[in-house]
Amino acid sequence: MVGIRSSHAFAAALTGLLVFSAFHSAKAQEVEHNSKEAAKGAPAPSVTQEELTNAAKDSKQFLHTNGNYDQTRFYPGKQVNTGNVSKLRPAWIFQMDVKESLETTPIVVGNVMYVTTSFDHVYALNAKTGEQYWHYKHKMGPITTYCCGPNNRGVAVYGDKVYLATLDAKLVALDAKTGSLVWQTDIADPLDGYSETMAPTAVNGKIIIGTNGGEYGIRGFVRAYDANTGKLVWNFDTIPENSVGVWATKDATGKDLHRDIDAEKAQFAKTGDPYKTLGGGVWQNPAVDLKLNRIFFVVGNPSPDLDGSLRPGDNLYTDSLVSVDLDTGKYVCHFQYIPHDVWDLDAVSPPILVDVKDKDGKTVPGVIHGGKTGNVYVNDRKDCSLIRFSDPMVDQSGMWTLPTPEGSKMFPGANGGVEWSPMAANPKLALAYAVNLHQPMTYQVQSSPYPDGKLWLGGAFKVIPTEVSFGNVTAVNYDTGKIKWQVKTPEPMMGGALATAGDLVFTGEANGWFRAYNAESGKILWSFQCGAGVNAPPAAYALDGKEYIVVGAGGNTQIDFKRGNNIIAFTLN
Amino acid sequence: MRYGKIFAGLFMAAALPGANSAVADSIDDKAQVCAGCHGEKGIPQEKTTPIIWGQNEGYILVELRDFKSGARKNDIMSGIVADLSKKDMLDLAAHFAGLKWPDLQQASPPRPVMKQALTVIGSIGCTSCHLDQYQGNSTTPRLAGQQSEYLQKTMTDFRDRSRANNPGMSDLMNAAQPADLGPIAQYLASLTVVGGNQ
Ligand code: HEC
Ligand code: HEC
Repeated sequence: MVGIRSSHAFAAALTGLLVFSAFHSAKAQEVEHNSKEAAKGAPAPSVTQEELTNAAKDSKQFLHTNGNYDQTRFYPGKQVNTGNVSKLRPAWIFQMDVKESLETTPIVVGNVMYVTTSFDHVYALNAKTGEQYWHYKHKMGPITTYCCGPNNRGVAVYGDKVYLATLDAKLVALDAKTGSLVWQTDIADPLDGYSETMAPTAVNGKIIIGTNGGEYGIRGFVRAYDANTGKLVWNFDTIPENSVGVWATKDATGKDLHRDIDAEKAQFAKTGDPYKTLGGGVWQNPAVDLKLNRIFFVVGNPSPDLDGSLRPGDNLYTDSLVSVDLDTGKYVCHFQYIPHDVWDLDAVSPPILVDVKDKDGKTVPGVIHGGKTGNVYVNDRKDCSLIRFSDPMVDQSGMWTLPTPEGSKMFPGANGGVEWSPMAANPKLALAYAVNLHQPMTYQVQSSPYPDGKLWLGGAFKVIPTEVSFGNVTAVNYDTGKIKWQVKTPEPMMGGALATAGDLVFTGEANGWFRAYNAESGKILWSFQCGAGVNAPPAAYALDGKEYIVVGAGGNTQIDFKRGNNIIAFTLN
Repeated sequence: MRYGKIFAGLFMAAALPGANSAVADSIDDKAQVCAGCHGEKGIPQEKTTPIIWGQNEGYILVELRDFKSGARKNDIMSGIVADLSKKDMLDLAAHFAGLKWPDLQQASPPRPVMKQALTVIGSIGCTSCHLDQYQGNSTTPRLAGQQSEYLQKTMTDFRDRSRANNPGMSDLMNAAQPADLGPIAQYLASLTVVGGNQ
């Protein structure tokens, strides 16, 4: 996953220029209007494992970044529904101190809401009124190394603590009531290219976290830490010491990857297994199957992104679905979507656990993932094997044309298909909702040796300024792989979706529009202009019998969408 | 270059007796050496010497480390950092990051030049790392208001890989044309000061 700004940002940059002189605060992106407020304790109830386990049925709280352990982002409340969503109005708007890329999912416990910002601030808010209880500002170390914006995607909650992972690669536990630091653990060294932007996952007394760094030659991992002490419980290297695999010549959908296997084998004989600097970040939360006692996550691109010559082999487990044991972190199974990726069309969007029809029409526990390729992949949870893949949601012309020194064109561009944006699923309709990008780019390759934790792309991705970019919202039937409906949007989409039992799908756009779609037909039923890019996944909760839909509007660094600093909660009337 | 070498030699000679004595130089003494080129008030003496006052802490630290390891080659700076310890570098980075970035009031380029710059910047996506207002963060440098000639020189150095301490930036610069670098440098240099630890 890597960040490329879109060419339409041209106009934004020009306007930006005119207002530059207006900024004189400590950090350009800090606006500091809440500084007067004194810290008030938050009436945060303790979160039990039982509540976390049953979150899928809980319409009052929103306890996980992706709604529940299955990560369906399916909210069970139906007070807001297709019949009345047109009456949805803002209940409150909270303005944060940081006006930068906003990818947080609000987490709601009782009547306390937790949101995070770029550069790792955390706020505890009154979910009913939007008033602030406390504000935690992470004391950032002098070194951070990250490619795609200073983002943070939110907190995990468990017991009386709130957990945050930071840009300088630390795991932090805060007191849920006061926001004061309880413990802090170094996850990895940011000088080597490690950073954290994902929300942690809390389960069975453990805090699970992946890492970014696939643009810096890291060796990726997923780790579990003790929720009480911050001590490491287990580590799973996403890159095994034997990363070669089977020299596969085709991707999961059967397309030829145009690999020069002989050249790769010759390189392998010379330099050996490249596992130590092979990348394989994990950007998003794992799905947790408590029955199987396993987690499922997807692993990102190999390093360097565009240059395969230095990394012979399939580059396991990059661009793969992986399942490991929840208690020990031991490998169970994997499935590689793209062996030896040289396009950064990796796996980022969090996997979702749903029952699916297998090839014989039998219902089996499945796991689905929206790939940067623009396909939704449907796999069997038992052994990670592929059941089917969906029709492409975006243009895939020229896939897999190899990158060249001059730059070659291929679709989709390097932001995908589906970027980090989580999909939502409506199990009743067997539909997955994905948000897509269409961004024409050229892929350029250039070889250079491992640069000790510095940016290592092995070339460049370049938006073609003369071609149009746009997006889609797409509903895919995961039992058939067919697209049920698709709505085109004027800007590439990044942020994510929420589905509800009210037969709605909520998602936002870079131009500030936050919209509700009919889950079955894709008809737009409600829209609200938020004033800045709605590039964060929505959440929902209920208080005193009133249902709320909440979303962040703060734009995005990665593709330079209009910045803002708002958390907006909506309710009926 | 030659001039620079002699110049550096002079400064090192002036600073060394203190460094050799039992009492270590205070950070202010060390920083005084830098002022000879990077400026008493943060305004560099030469057009191709970068502003370091108010530059991001992580970036200054990494550059000093790279000059010392030889990953970034520069005859002047490699002499300067040769005797610096890791602690010195940390202190110097914190010191300069805490100073106010000077406003050189470099003129905006004419519109067609700016347009050329913005097209390339948009296509390569410079703000995804250097951020919204080119203020950078941590190990990614601030570019807004940096000296135009220095920016052009260092981007050219990235492009031909004579600045080899970040192959990723070299790759990105190679996605631009040589004729784009002047306009990009002028555009970035003309941006008014934002942020800074002041
Ligand atoms: C004799 C002149 C001279 C002296 C003295 C000097 N520098 Fe430099 N410095 C330069 C030049 C010239 C460059 C640009 C090198 C290049 O083009 O790659 C530079 C580059 C740098 C950079 C990289 C900045 C960037 O934007 O990439 C840093 C950091 C730096 N110097 C810090 C220092 C510190 C700290 C001191 C004092 C300990 C110091 N310099 C003393 C001339 C000097
Ligand atoms: C993927 C992240 C990324 C992107 C995209 C990026 N840069 Fe950089 N840039 C960096 C980093 C990191 C450095 C520090 C290099 C080092 O390690 O010395 C840097 C350094 C620089 C420098 C040197 C500044 C100095 O003081 O010496 C310039 C100039 C620069 N970048 C310009 C650009 C321009 C122009 C673009 C777009 C065409 C761009 N960068 C795109 C990450 C990026």
